[in-house]
Amino acid sequence: MKVNEIMTKEITSLSPEADAKEALDLLLKIKISGLPVIDDKNKLVGMLTEKEILSAILPSYVEKVGKFVYEENPKVVKQKISALQNMKVKDLMRKNVVTVDEDTTLCEAARIMLTQKARRLPVLNKAQDVIGIVARGDVVKALFREAVAE
Amino acid sequence: MKRFIFKFILLFLIPLALGLFSRSVGFNYPQALSISIFSVSILGTLFFWDFRLSFAFLGTSILLLTQVIDLNNVIKFASLEVILFLVGMMVLIGLLKEAGLFAWLVSLILRIRNLTSQKFLIAISVISAFLACAVDEVTSIIFMVAAILEICDYFEVDPVPFIICSVLTTNIGSSGTVLGNPIGILIAAKAHLSFEDFIIKAFPLMLLCLAVTISLLRILYRKTLKQFDEKIRELGANEMLIRLISVPPERELRVCLGIFGATLLFISLHHRLELFLGLETNTILLIAPLISAGLVMIWKWRKARDYIEKDVEWWTLLFFLLLFAQAGTLKYTGATDFLAKKIIGITGGDPRFLVSTILWLSTIGSGILDNVVLVAAFIPIIHGFEALNVNIQTLWWALLFGGCLGGNITLIGSTAKIVALGILEKERRIRITFFRWFRIGLSVGLITTGLVWFALISLPFYR
Repeated sequence: MKVNEIMTKEITSLSPEADAKEALDLLLKIKISGLPVIDDKNKLVGMLTEKEILSAILPSYVEKVGKFVYEENPKVVKQKISALQNMKVKDLMRKNVVTVDEDTTLCEAARIMLTQKARRLPVLNKAQDVIGIVARGDVVKALFREAVAE
Repeated sequence: MKRFIFKFILLFLIPLALGLFSRSVGFNYPQALSISIFSVSILGTLFFWDFRLSFAFLGTSILLLTQVIDLNNVIKFASLEVILFLVGMMVLIGLLKEAGLFAWLVSLILRIRNLTSQKFLIAISVISAFLACAVDEVTSIIFMVAAILEICDYFEVDPVPFIICSVLTTNIGSSGTVLGNPIGILIAAKAHLSFEDFIIKAFPLMLLCLAVTISLLRILYRKTLKQFDEKIRELGANEMLIRLISVPPERELRVCLGIFGATLLFISLHHRLELFLGLETNTILLIAPLISAGLVMIWKWRKARDYIEKDVEWWTLLFFLLLFAQAGTLKYTGATDFLAKKIIGITGGDPRFLVSTILWLSTIGSGILDNVVLVAAFIPIIHGFEALNVNIQTLWWALLFGGCLGGNITLIGSTAKIVALGILEKERRIRITFFRWFRIGLSVGLITTGLVWFALISLPFYR
């Protein structure tokens, strides 16, 4: 089985020029942890997930200072959340996105998800247009379904 | 793209011109080639920082292919003892970070009672300098910047002046011991200087530079300090900051502190212990971090691989290793001895002139280049002076202080600064302009180097 057989074809995506706050509202509304960012030529330019939002609002040095516990919310978090109002999706998105092409096998997609720590993979056609998205859950379900069917 | 091509052309033209010039003034072919290739490494760090390791790989390979040096000597000059010392220290620092020691230090700064701007400036300057003395400057600056940003955010003041103060004093502090900067351990290893020598000769001079710098910063930033005091009055005591973060006082943190303390103790007593045990100079200095790192990896055996793979900066260390080998080639081919002879011939070996030249050249040079590159180039030249019966003791201190203090002059001069300004840009989207830095950096750089210059040439203690 190939990823084009299990991928979600009707994808919700974000424009790089969209407001970051609106993008966050959309993520919360559709209860999805991340969306691909696609430009007006239907080319994938990035991915915006809750992780990028958290990285943007927490101090960047939290990963470098080692073990500690926040007992209060630092003032900067509120400031950074308000600053999201003036930011675009392109300012926050992750630009290095792992993708697969439509003929990728399920096991290869699973291998990529595991080794690249990706929760979802945008699927591209030969012209590098985004034609769908495949999530980790979709791959697991399809692999099990295929095994049971055999 | 045009700029890239221009830099690329310069990268080949300058070393070529240097090689041809060297030949014309009497250097032989291997000497001229070693000079050319070493200059490619230097210019590579200046023009293409991200590609520096590639240039070091290619340069060393060319030196071997052209038989300018052989494999045995590449290994001999690669200064493995320095690399291993740095590996050991990086593993220990990784452990301390994981245990929460640095976050604990940040929480101490946040908890300063009855904060005033003067108290804050002095505290961050002194802690930056002393932390740089005990760990390395890059580790130290990350935690200092974190503390400064939290405090400045709370009081709604511009963090830039305080980050500048912290970077300046971190660079000054890094000259105080062998641990503060890779050039400290490199000079200690090559000059057979002990930790005690650093404490007796470098540390007091570092303290003097620190005191003068703090006084200068209090004058230069008097308006900022006044505004900070007004904000403290307006917003009240730093109660929220006091509670902001906590570090669980776990047994692990105490054990880690114990291991680090024991390592520092052995490092500080290494000379005495080496004399007592009849060991070669600096044996204990170089192996103390390795013993501690080895014990840590037995204790934390599940994470041992992570310490080595994630906490050790192999990219930088491999660059150092090959750079030292290339600098060693200058010695091996006799290029630096030839150069040393020429310099002595011109100057008559006047010690004051030599000290002044080494100090100011290394100060200016480390304002532009990575100070390790610069020091690696100077070391074989200073050894060349020694072979001509020149007293080189003062020259080592000139090289150390020039390499550390020069980094304060420009925006690109030190790794600590690049790290601090990177965090500032990411956190606050503030980019410090070259001239905003240069105005302060040049004043501090010139005054502190001037002080060191006066001390080195006028105090018999340093001869």
